[in-house]
Amino acid sequence: MKLGKTSETSRSRSRGEQELWAVPELPGVEEGRRQTLFHRWDPRIKIASLLLFSFCAASVGTVGTALLCCAVSASALMVAGTPWRLAARRIAAMAAFLAMFFVVLPLTVPVLPGDQVATLGHGTWIQINFRGFSVAALVAAKAMSVALLMEPLLRTSPFPRTVNALARLGVPDPLCQMLLIMYRYVFVFRHEMSRLWVGMNVRGFRPGTNRRTIHILGNFLGMLFVRSLERTERVHEAMLCRGFTGRFPTRESFRSTPLDWALGAGWVLGGVAVLLLDRYETLPFSGVFR
Amino acid sequence: MHIADGVLPTKVALACYALSAGCLSLSLRKTRAQDLPKVAVMTSAFFVASLVHVPLGPTSVHLLLPGLVGILLGWSAFLAVFLGLLLQCLLFQFGGLTALGANALMMGLPAWLSGAFFTRFRNSPDRVRILAGAMASGTAVAVAACGLAMLLALGGEDFFGVAKIALAAHVPVVVVEALVTASVLAFVGRVKPELITQGAWKAEWR
Repeated sequence: MKLGKTSETSRSRSRGEQELWAVPELPGVEEGRRQTLFHRWDPRIKIASLLLFSFCAASVGTVGTALLCCAVSASALMVAGTPWRLAARRIAAMAAFLAMFFVVLPLTVPVLPGDQVATLGHGTWIQINFRGFSVAALVAAKAMSVALLMEPLLRTSPFPRTVNALARLGVPDPLCQMLLIMYRYVFVFRHEMSRLWVGMNVRGFRPGTNRRTIHILGNFLGMLFVRSLERTERVHEAMLCRGFTGRFPTRESFRSTPLDWALGAGWVLGGVAVLLLDRYETLPFSGVFR
Repeated sequence: MHIADGVLPTKVALACYALSAGCLSLSLRKTRAQDLPKVAVMTSAFFVASLVHVPLGPTSVHLLLPGLVGILLGWSAFLAVFLGLLLQCLLFQFGGLTALGANALMMGLPAWLSGAFFTRFRNSPDRVRILAGAMASGTAVAVAACGLAMLLALGGEDFFGVAKIALAAHVPVVVVEALVTASVLAFVGRVKPELITQGAWKAEWR
């Protein structure tokens, strides 16, 4: 069965499938294919230092430095060797939100002295302020720089190992356990939902903007919740059977080498350097974009 | 709509992290330890449900579900919202990592509100209960939208326009969300009424 890639012409038929399958595919974390610097890095130090760098990258104030951060993240992505496709999907997920800034900001940013303003049409009610574009570009560049860093951060070690590292970093144990359980059941429920959905389609359900759709979607979600609630009981009992006492026993051990620390220190210093650069505007084109 | 990285000033993002850490610990304390795995399983169900797109004229909107989470999970709702958003951020980049605190506050507080409101109507007759649920969840989305607008506006005068647009964009979502919640409550009321009268595994307000 072909899902989701039909063209606009057969819209009415493929619409329902398309809308639901706009559900991003749940990406599993693959690893072990390559052993790069990021794969070998101690996850605890990796998470801490990349998170710090992300906060630095998210707080710069000029487009030039933000683009520099983007370049740093992109090169990290290249070193980590994770697929570009997945990074591109992350950017696509933010695209609508960021596009809103590009459309709205030039029209609504208050005019400050020194701004370039273009007036459209005869009336003066539509004004395009070019400073809006640079503010939007700044926001987009910052968002991109953090989003690109997420792939090297998460896809270079298995998800459970990342979560265990988080626990070692001081994230409360219950939260980490819940994350692990969720990471398992999200896939189960997505499968369950797609089964329900196929059944609905077979029975002739086509979504549209009407009462019927709302009613059926309500039944659909209600069914999902009722089934999951019943499943919670079974899952919990199964966990008790296997001797769950409130924590998962883990054999995960973390070892850090001086190289790990050096790498971490490098990223933190990089973050500080970016902030300093931003502060003193020493980049060649930071003035242009200001 | 989830806030991406780099939109909020760093001070605001950090303050939101601190606030949501407080709410999170409250939510954890109010949830019995043996219920934690169940909250996690229910959260994954909500997570998957929030990926469903409802067709709306030429476009579609995806469900936010803060209202339903609050109605079904009570105090555990904030926990569920936080974890759901964290996983969304890690897997899909819906909402940035540095803006996670802000996103969690924006959705988690309305979830609590709607749960607290709905809890008075748990044992009301069917029609009243469904109406209350629809109102609770519509209001939750409206409050979340106001939260989003406020957070965006904290970025300075430049962002006032974006905040207004974001607020306006949520009006259809409020309607869809209220209707879907009413329909879900009607279904659950017929199939498994104890889920509504007691909340999931009696996760009522304690």
